[in-house]
Amino acid sequence: MSKKKLGTVWLGGCSGCHMSLLDIDERILEVAKLADIVKSPVVDGKEMPEVDIALVEGAITSDEHYRELLHIRKQAKTLIAFGDCAVMTNVTGMRNYFNLKDVLDTAYVNAISNDKEGKVPDHPSLLKLNEKVLPLQEVVKVDFVIPGCPPDADTIFYVLFEFLNDRLPDLGKAKKLKYG
Amino acid sequence: MNTIPITINDKKLDVDPAKTILEVCRENDIEILTMCHLKGIIDIGACRLCLVEIEGINKLLSACTTKVAANMVVKTSTERIKKYQRITAELFFAERNHVCSVCVANGKCELQQLGYKVEMDHIRYPHLFPHCEVDTSHPWYVMDHNRCIMCTRCVRVCNEVEGAHNWDVMNRGHQVRIISDFNTPWGESITCTSCGKCLHACPTGAIWPKAIVQGQLEKKPEIISELMEKRKMKL
Ligand code: SF4
Ligand code: SF4
Ligand code: SF4
Ligand code: FES
Repeated sequence: MSKKKLGTVWLGGCSGCHMSLLDIDERILEVAKLADIVKSPVVDGKEMPEVDIALVEGAITSDEHYRELLHIRKQAKTLIAFGDCAVMTNVTGMRNYFNLKDVLDTAYVNAISNDKEGKVPDHPSLLKLNEKVLPLQEVVKVDFVIPGCPPDADTIFYVLFEFLNDRLPDLGKAKKLKYG
Repeated sequence: MNTIPITINDKKLDVDPAKTILEVCRENDIEILTMCHLKGIIDIGACRLCLVEIEGINKLLSACTTKVAANMVVKTSTERIKKYQRITAELFFAERNHVCSVCVANGKCELQQLGYKVEMDHIRYPHLFPHCEVDTSHPWYVMDHNRCIMCTRCVRVCNEVEGAHNWDVMNRGHQVRIISDFNTPWGESITCTSCGKCLHACPTGAIWPKAIVQGQLEKKPEIISELMEKRKMKL
């Protein structure tokens, strides 16, 4: 069996899912036998190359995330929504209960710690927040989901190991579902 | 005692005709998912999780509100039932704002357990993301409408067990809300005795005591059931 390619990326999340990925500890050697990690925030920052499996942490919050996710969808044979934010928006989506302008004003203009000149940053090089935060499956076709905030390392390893051995994992049957 | 014959999942049983299908199933270790049912208070068939198939009836009926009848043939776990249970669970999550990672009930929530049982890995429907109030006006307890699934266990427990009738229901459809007195802050209620029964009856992280933080909620809905058993025995 030829070695597979694995990419991981962190969009609108807190990096906790990636911390949990690192918690698979020495089992990363098992993964490394079957796959090369060709892109990951713990490796470097280049664009997603063609991969067999892409683990995508975080929800879609901005124009930049949106473009990146479309790109990843083109590059990945199997796209996995990685963690509660990617699957159901989670904490990242809590701003959806309010309108975006109020959210930004609360942080940049009206916060008690602000001086009177506080204004919402609008430099052209900055990303633009979308009105609503979306889970991945509302933007692209998602092939598999791992809920959990963060998902347990055991669950992450289980999913990777199954896919890397050309089997389809089943979190429900494996009793590995978890939210929060 | 008079009994009648019924069949549940191909198992023949002789049962008390005064019982519901759910009661008979619970007594015979036949699993039925429930959310709005709480032993001891009146069943109202609100959550639609306990649906069963009955031979000769096209509609699925709720086991908690349907009495057994002679020669009834019941199925509790067909593909059709499972399909609806999964949809129902997903709609609970899509309708309000469930952020388990920051919830007091995380790890001890009946709604999470339901999700795992129906093998819900994601929600296929767009989230509504409604703006919901969090009522912190009561000195000890919080009512967080973000996490309420409208099972009305709190309403019934407060009315039927405590006799206070602080809680009730306002509006319809996705705007439906639990209200305290006539839609006033819980802390200003003139009916609430602060007994805490609604807190234990609530299956989610919607009602909780202020003294706790994320993941610490300990609920004991069974104390309501035990209390009602004892009252029946006039102990
Ligand atoms: S009430 Fe239950 S399902 Fe809802 S956020 Fe809290 S733990 Fe999650
Ligand atoms: S604390 Fe007791 S009296 Fe007050 S609302 Fe809850 S059940 Fe009713
Ligand atoms: S507050 Fe709790 S008990 Fe009351 S209706 Fe909502 S979920 Fe049910
Ligand atoms: S338990 Fe029967 S409808 Fe809710």
